[in-house]
Amino acid sequence: MIHLNLDAVSSPDRIISSFEQKGYLADEELATALFLSIRLEKPLLMEGHPGVGKTESANILAQVLDTPLIRLQCYEGLDVHAAVYEWNYQKQLLSIKMEEREPRSKRELENHIFGEDFLLARPLLKSISREKSPVLLIDEIDRADEEFEAFLLELLSAYQISIPELGTIKAKSKPIVILTSNRTRELSDALRRRCLYIWNDFPDFTKEVRIIQKHLPELEEKMLGQMVHCIQALRARKLAKTPGISESVDWASAMLALGCKKLDQQLAEKTLGCLLKSSEDLNLVRGTVLEEILSDISSGNHE
Amino acid sequence: MSDFPHYRNFDNISEAVLGFVHWAREEGMPISIQESKDALKAAAYGCLDTQSSFRYALKALFCTGPDDRALFDQLFEHFWGREKMRIKSRTTMKNASNIRKESPASLVWMGSGQEGEEREEEARKTSGANQQERLRKTDFGKLTQMESEELEEIATKLWQQMSLRLKRKMRSSPKGDKIDLRNTLRANISRGGEMIELRKRRKKPRKQKLLILLDVSGSMDTYSFYLLRFICALRTHFESIEAFIFSTKLIRITDYLNSSNLEATLWLLSRQADNWSSGTKIGACLLDFNERYAREIMHGPVSVIILSDGLETGDTNVLEAELKKIKLRTRQLIWLNPLKGMQGYQPIQKGMSAVLPDLDVFQSAHNLDSLLQLENLLLHV
Repeated sequence: MIHLNLDAVSSPDRIISSFEQKGYLADEELATALFLSIRLEKPLLMEGHPGVGKTESANILAQVLDTPLIRLQCYEGLDVHAAVYEWNYQKQLLSIKMEEREPRSKRELENHIFGEDFLLARPLLKSISREKSPVLLIDEIDRADEEFEAFLLELLSAYQISIPELGTIKAKSKPIVILTSNRTRELSDALRRRCLYIWNDFPDFTKEVRIIQKHLPELEEKMLGQMVHCIQALRARKLAKTPGISESVDWASAMLALGCKKLDQQLAEKTLGCLLKSSEDLNLVRGTVLEEILSDISSGNHE
Repeated sequence: MSDFPHYRNFDNISEAVLGFVHWAREEGMPISIQESKDALKAAAYGCLDTQSSFRYALKALFCTGPDDRALFDQLFEHFWGREKMRIKSRTTMKNASNIRKESPASLVWMGSGQEGEEREEEARKTSGANQQERLRKTDFGKLTQMESEELEEIATKLWQQMSLRLKRKMRSSPKGDKIDLRNTLRANISRGGEMIELRKRRKKPRKQKLLILLDVSGSMDTYSFYLLRFICALRTHFESIEAFIFSTKLIRITDYLNSSNLEATLWLLSRQADNWSSGTKIGACLLDFNERYAREIMHGPVSVIILSDGLETGDTNVLEAELKKIKLRTRQLIWLNPLKGMQGYQPIQKGMSAVLPDLDVFQSAHNLDSLLQLENLLLHV
């Protein structure tokens, strides 16, 4: 077992600074939760609106710790075979054929072809069979079925996986586990209890400005301010899909690519597709709503 | 208003943390022993240095969802704050909307009241071969007290049969078998690995989901009771069922359907609603649904049943727009309207005519037989 170098995450403050070096602005709440998750060896459950940087923070954590990130994207119908392990059937069949010449007993053969050589590790099994602890990201757990959630419990509390043919496989090194959820479904209490919890919110004005600056330092400050005000005003409205941080970064890069210096109605309408991803929202915002927001910004009412 | 504990009342930091845990538990936060141990560890790791990092550490440990967070912040501020403050009693912290007075209308709704000779007379006129047949065809609104008891018995039996039939048909229906290689290999080891006997795996049937929106406004008074019973009967078949009642406000009743005692459920429901039997704002309620619950409920294959007479007193444009949104995310949109059982009924009220083009099924729901016909629709859900 190779120990991780935990210098970069030795305190919440260190986490903030090492994340910033990698271009991610973590606030103290997130840093504290990550710090505790690592020290207490407990999984961290992150909830929040889509596009607030939940997945990205796991990415950055892996970079900071200099360890691989193993990602499991959840979806409806995700089962053990796709998430944990699967037997290599082709190899098993081949092996049975090869054994035909030197007959073994039934039991021997069974032990042979259901041995570790024939096991294909999927993300969850991979994550506990490494020498060096990886970061395991279980993304959008709310999309998986409840049965799968129950299956995760064993992994998350005891860091082991049971395979009927092989017995229990214990973790060589404990992975650092991060789960994300968009709250499309309520997660079970059993799962919540095993995790630390954090709610990621949309950033406030200053933080969002800093985030975009981090990504696009060449963007003009005045323009940036106007755009972020516009985004924040849009978020305050009732939309089918509220734009996240990745959307605002997209929008900013679009402006940069177009070489625009000032945000006006025409320009905003043309590029609105970067922010709003549903026709209802587009129809709602285009025209008067956008006009209102922009006139608010130019008259300085937003302060 | 009551006094509350404060960290200055404790001798050292560990005791104060435990005191806080204890108090938070009393106030309704589910904190396990493991979590309080972890809190002490967190303190030892240096999370005590600033108040904010201490707060975030405890928050990550103790909160399990977004709803806890507000309560936690309040408790934390009081316990670890500079000044000793007084805290408001618990009920004000929780949503006051949970507690409502019983309204007089609920009496009517529970099936008593509104008895009259005229109604009885009308009921008798309904033709039918025998008493049972007759009752099954009688409009819910025209039953006498005696008959309604009898009908309930029949209904319970028939609904039980229905949900049993539904279950049976579901079980044998899924096709598209796949070969289960793992079990096939195992089974054929004794034959030297020759795949003689194939083991198959049935595709897991996708989970059925059903969303029911029941109108409990005044115009639906005589029907709501039976319709609610019907919802309870459906519950035994559909594992994931979501139910809401609405009139001027939308109330989620899914959790109340769980209790096995229906009378208790009904009583709870009547207490929940201060707006039984007032005007209907279907559009506004659907809007509320789309905003608050749709994200959570409307994914995967969902069928929606709306039980309402469609007598909208609000804006029909809202109704139309919101129903369109629901329609987009469902597999089947069923509207059951008790009024459709009336002779000569035409869906010409402004509410009903606005939504008609969006419906997959538009049926009556005025008597037992019409509800039992739903069985065929639900089979293909």
